[in-house]
Amino acid sequence: MSKILRIVGLMALLMMSFGVMVTTAQDDMMVVRIGGIHPLTGFLANDGLGMDQAIQMAVDEINEMGLVPGITLEYVSADSTGAADVGQQEAERLITEEGISVIIGTFQSAVTGNVATVAAREGVPLIIDVAAASDITERGRDADGNQWTFRIQPNADVMGTFAAQYAVAMTSAGGGELGSVAYLHEGVTDYGRSVYGAFEAEAANIGLDIVETVGYEFGADYTTDVTIVGASAPDAVMVTGYYGDGLTIAQNMEAIALDVPFVMGVAQGTYDQDQFVADAGSLAECFFNSNYRWDNLNPHALAVRARYAERFGEGMTSADVLAWQATYIAADAIRRAGSGDTAAIQAALLETDYEYHIMPYDGSITFVDGETPNAIPVVMQVQDGAVKQVWPPEIAESEPRFCTSWGG
Amino acid sequence: MEWKQYRGSLIGGLVVISLFAILIYNNVDWRACLEPEAEGFVLSCVAENTSAWYARYGVVMRQATVSGLLIGGVYGLVALGLTMIFGVLEIINFAHGALMTVGLYITFILFDTFGIDPYLGLFITVPLLFFIGLIVYRVVIHPARDAPHHNQLLLTLGLTLLIENLLLMVFTATPRAIRLDYGRGETNILGLFVMQFPIRIWRAVITFDKLLAFLGALVVTAILYTIIQKTDLGKAIRATAQERDGAALVGINTDWINMITFGIGTACVGAAAALVLPFRPADPTAGNLFNITAFIIVVLGGMGNAIGALLGGLIIGLTQELTGIFFPGSPDLIGVFVIFILVLLFRPQGLLGQAA
Repeated sequence: MSKILRIVGLMALLMMSFGVMVTTAQDDMMVVRIGGIHPLTGFLANDGLGMDQAIQMAVDEINEMGLVPGITLEYVSADSTGAADVGQQEAERLITEEGISVIIGTFQSAVTGNVATVAAREGVPLIIDVAAASDITERGRDADGNQWTFRIQPNADVMGTFAAQYAVAMTSAGGGELGSVAYLHEGVTDYGRSVYGAFEAEAANIGLDIVETVGYEFGADYTTDVTIVGASAPDAVMVTGYYGDGLTIAQNMEAIALDVPFVMGVAQGTYDQDQFVADAGSLAECFFNSNYRWDNLNPHALAVRARYAERFGEGMTSADVLAWQATYIAADAIRRAGSGDTAAIQAALLETDYEYHIMPYDGSITFVDGETPNAIPVVMQVQDGAVKQVWPPEIAESEPRFCTSWGG
Repeated sequence: MEWKQYRGSLIGGLVVISLFAILIYNNVDWRACLEPEAEGFVLSCVAENTSAWYARYGVVMRQATVSGLLIGGVYGLVALGLTMIFGVLEIINFAHGALMTVGLYITFILFDTFGIDPYLGLFITVPLLFFIGLIVYRVVIHPARDAPHHNQLLLTLGLTLLIENLLLMVFTATPRAIRLDYGRGETNILGLFVMQFPIRIWRAVITFDKLLAFLGALVVTAILYTIIQKTDLGKAIRATAQERDGAALVGINTDWINMITFGIGTACVGAAAALVLPFRPADPTAGNLFNITAFIIVVLGGMGNAIGALLGGLIIGLTQELTGIFFPGSPDLIGVFVIFILVLLFRPQGLLGQAA
C-alpha cells in the first residue's frame, strides 16, 4: 500500500513539475551542453549505440518537460571506438572545442579511467553510466583531492563481492550448500580481471573455494576453456565477459553437456539480455546473471523502457537504462547549479540526493567518494523464455531455479 | 658427418621431450614431491601426480586437440584465399577478413530472411563472394596495380574500414547469431544413416557444426588444389605466379588471371563464412580474428603455398588451443605469436616455402 502511495506521490510530483516548466518561455533559454563518450563503432558498438540513444532520449524528455528551468540541454555525442586513447582525445575535444559542461560515459573501464583523468585535470564532471573497475573514481580526483567523477552503477568490487554472497545465499535458500566454484572470465581487459579479483577476495572471506579459473581471450570457440572448467567438477560456474563471447560460451557448455546446474554471469553482458533469449532460444533457460539492472518492479522503469522501445524499435538494455539515468542525474545537478558552470555542477553533484531513480537501490542516489553507496547488483535468470529478477528476495519476481537447459 | 641424417629426428625428439617437461612443470604438483614428508622416490611421485593430473585434465588435452584441429581447418581455408591472392598478385590483402564478414552477413540474411540453410547457402554465398571479389579487384585493386606496395596495403586497409562501417550502418553492431534446429542429438545424415551428435571421443566433444566446418574446409581446399594443379586455368594461375612476364609472353592474359584469382581467394572466405556462422555470431568486426590468424598462417606455411596454408591452419589452431594448457593463465595467442616470430627469424620462407 505504502509503495503504491509512494508511486502515486512520485507521479504527482513529476507531473506538477512538468506543468510548471511547460509554461516557461522557450526563447531566452540558456544552452548547456552535455557530452557523451561511448563506443559507437568497433566491437562494442552494439552497446555504445544503445546508450547514446538513451542519453538523447533523456535529453529530449528533460527539455520537453522543462525539468531544468531556464536551460535547454544539448547533447554532443562522441565515439571512443572502444579504444582508451581515442576516448581520451574525444574527452579533450568535447571539453576544449565543444564547450560541454558535463560528460557521461563510457561503458569500458579502460576508456573511462583515461577520461576520468582528463575530466579531473580540466575540471569537468564525469558521470559514469557503465564502467566497473573500482579505481576509476579515485583517478577522477584533481590535485587538490576534489572529486570530479561520479558513478551510479555498482563498481567491480561491489559486483564481485555481492555475486559471491548472492551465490552462497541463493544456494542455501534452495536447501543446498555451495562448496566450490569455477570461474571463466575474459582475461583481456580491466573489467574481467577486476570483477574476478573482487569475487576472489570475497570468496576467500566467506570460505568459498575457487577450484578453477580461466582467463580467456576473444576467439571463435571456447570449448576447451569450458572443458577445463568442467573438469574441476565445481558446484557452480561463474562467467564474466561481453555479449558475443558469452553467447558462444553458452553454446559450448551445451555442446559438452556441462554437468553443473548453476551457471551465473557476474556483471556479464549476455545472460540477462532479451537478445540472449532471442538468439539462443531454449538454450538460454536457467542462465543466471548478477548484474546492474533497473528495478523491474518499478512501473516508472517499465514506462521508460517502453518509450525507448517505441522510439528506437529495440529493447532497452541495462546499460541503456543506466545511461538514461545518468543523464537525469546530470540534469538534476545542472538545475541546482543553475548554469553550465562546471565547478557549480560539480558542487551540486556532491550534494546529489536523487529520489526519483529507477534503479533497485534502497533510497536516494547520493555520492560518497564518487560512488553511490547503496548501488547493488541484482540476480536475474532466464525462466520460461523471459529474464526475471530472482535475488535478493526483496525485489525477486520469481524463485531461482538450479538447472541447465541441456538437462545436466 | 653421419649425425646429420638424424638431425631432424633428434630435434623433433627434443621438442617433444621439452613440451612434456613444460606441461609437467606448469601443471603437475611436483613441488609436493620435494617436500621431506613426501613418500617414495621423487620421480615415481612425480609420475604418480602426473597420472593423477591426466586422469582429471586428460579430457581437456583431448578437447583442445580436437577443437584446435577443427577450427584450424577453417583457418586454413581463409589463409588459402589470402595466400593465393598474394602468390599471384603480390598484394597483401588486408580486406580479406572484412570480405569474410560480408560473407557472414550474406549467410545470415539467406538464413534469416529467406530461410535458406547455411550449408545449402554455400552454393549462393561462394559464387556471390566470387563476384564481389571480381568487382573489388576491378574497382579498387586494379587501378593501383603499379603503385608501391605500401600504397596497396593502405588501400586494402581503407577498404576494410569502409566495409566495417558500411556493415555497421546497415546491420548495427548487434551480433547476429543463427541457431540450427538440427545437429543435436540423433541426426539423420542425408537420409543415409543416423548419427548421434555431438560425437564424443573419450569425453572430448565434436559438435555437428564444427565437424561440418572442418570437413567443408577440407573439401573446398581439395577442390581448389585440384583446380590449381590439374586444369588449364590452374596452370595459367601458377604460371602467372611464377613468372608474370613469361606468362604474358606465352599468351596468358595475366590481368584476367589476377582478377580470377582475387575472385577465387574471396570465394574462399565466402565458404569459410557460411561454414562458421552456425557457431560464431556475425558482427561488423567478426572477420578480424580470422584475418590476423590467416596472416600468421600464410607466413608460417609459406607465401603462395596452398598445402602450407592448410598445414599452417592446423598448426595455428592447435597452438592456440594448447597454449593455455601448457602455460596456464597465459593468453592463447602468445604461443601463436611466438611461432610467428620464430618462423620469421629462422625460416622466413615458411615451412613449405622454397628459399629465395
